[in-house]
Amino acid sequence: MTDYTVDELICVCIARQVEDGEVLAQGLATPLVMAGYLLARLTHAPNVVFGSAIGNTLCAEWAPLSLARIEDIWLGRAIALTSFPQLVCDTLFSLQPKEFFRPGQIDLYGNSNNIFMGGSYERPHLRLPGCGGIADVTTYHSRVYFYVPRHSRAVFVEKLDFLSGLGHGHPLPDYSGPHYLVSDLGQFDFKGEGGRMRLISCHPGVTVEQIQRKTGFPLEVAPDLHETPPPTAEEVRLLREEIDPLGIRKLETLSGARRRRKLREIIEREQWHGLVHQNSHRQGH
Amino acid sequence: MINKFTTLAEAVKLVRQGDMLALGGMTLYRRPVAFVRELIRQGTSDLTLLAFTAGFASDLLVGAGLVSRVRTCYFGLEAFGLAPMFTKLASAGKVKIIEETEASIAFGLRATLAGVGFMPGQGWLETDLLKVRPDVRLVDDPYSGRRYVAFPAIRPDVAVIHARLADPSGNAVLGGNLAVDQELSMAADRVIITAEQVVDKLEERADIVGLRVRAVVEAPGGARPTSCYPDYPLDAAEILRYVETCASGGFAEYLREFINSEFPIHNVQ
Repeated sequence: MTDYTVDELICVCIARQVEDGEVLAQGLATPLVMAGYLLARLTHAPNVVFGSAIGNTLCAEWAPLSLARIEDIWLGRAIALTSFPQLVCDTLFSLQPKEFFRPGQIDLYGNSNNIFMGGSYERPHLRLPGCGGIADVTTYHSRVYFYVPRHSRAVFVEKLDFLSGLGHGHPLPDYSGPHYLVSDLGQFDFKGEGGRMRLISCHPGVTVEQIQRKTGFPLEVAPDLHETPPPTAEEVRLLREEIDPLGIRKLETLSGARRRRKLREIIEREQWHGLVHQNSHRQGH
Repeated sequence: MINKFTTLAEAVKLVRQGDMLALGGMTLYRRPVAFVRELIRQGTSDLTLLAFTAGFASDLLVGAGLVSRVRTCYFGLEAFGLAPMFTKLASAGKVKIIEETEASIAFGLRATLAGVGFMPGQGWLETDLLKVRPDVRLVDDPYSGRRYVAFPAIRPDVAVIHARLADPSGNAVLGGNLAVDQELSMAADRVIITAEQVVDKLEERADIVGLRVRAVVEAPGGARPTSCYPDYPLDAAEILRYVETCASGGFAEYLREFINSEFPIHNVQ
């Protein structure tokens, strides 16, 4: 059996949700999603087009993940450059890109919160970075997907502290609600009654009971529950050697001091790679 | 051609206490950091900060106590995690947040550009954002009868944009990452351009037309430690040093060093 880590399994699950030829949107600070998209691009979906929230571009080519030079992926290889308002106002509705969002909190129906956790709105226990465009596109978008790198009761809640992204059950004409969620424990769809979240597969070695213990609402289980197929040796090789040799995807599974240690390690490796690159190409800074 | 070339110290005086200040660039990319340093030195306060996405430069302004209100759709340091000072002060209720999203800022700027009071959009419907932004109203489509959100016009008092190249009249080349800067350069009341280099005549086509620009400042390395594509990448080590310094309670010390240093700030390994 192939040796893999959970971040790699999440990337593989994301890649499997990608269909060839579609437009894929990448949000801010979502390297697991980017790695998953690139894995799809290098395997079954060579004709995807990426829309980036970092470079404000549409892009069909790709480059390995980077911390310091992330714009190289998007700007150096863009089909077209757009401003962010152009991207938001002129392309999101017409192209309906598939996007994987990371919710701060999510409820049984896929409603989400990226504004604050705990306490009150005025005095939260933790203010979150914000919902970006989640409140905008979940009202009309038909291709909303989620990923949760650290499955816990703090994320999967009975009641949201704030509603900043629409799940199922809202009376709006142009929307279909979210379709899919992958966490570090399993995969879920929203095909339960009224658009309820259902567990469709447990990752290898994880039980339904373990997932229920880390979920703040009663878990609905699909009748054809199965085990998530593990990554293949080639998928793992592509992730480690071609797509993300620096290991940036792993940052999303870490927090606090462990995350900062990993960052330090990635920065040192990237600087070393950069020096090698500079010397071999005799470029300036 | 009107010569608008001036010094950083003079340009910063265009920002007045209580202004809505818009920062060009994106989270950690092509931010006007040299300008922010001078603004902190001069201490212009009670600002409303408008940043499409807010990152390092915005966190310094918030931490320095110059920002009373924040308008952004994302305030963080991307792969480096939460923006420490924003997170701390916002969680303590010490900075007022005017909730925004991608659409509310994009449509809000476009409303200003079109000279109308709002632009309709589908975002925010059914969300709690409407509860904490009671100033944002709904509007009925007179054709279909459908209900939309009327995103109100946003007109910044000042926009500061860091460019790769500019000429003395304020025409400027951005280098690919357009961010929100073309819109800001037309929507803001006063526009300031800082540039890696100011040249007599641009050899390439401009992204920003300088007609509304009031001041042009040469600030080589003026986006560091954020990136200025393709001239220099993000200084990841410096952003991490900032995060680590703040994690051990050292923001005040970092800020002192930051404002006393000559730009560009650069983490040499």
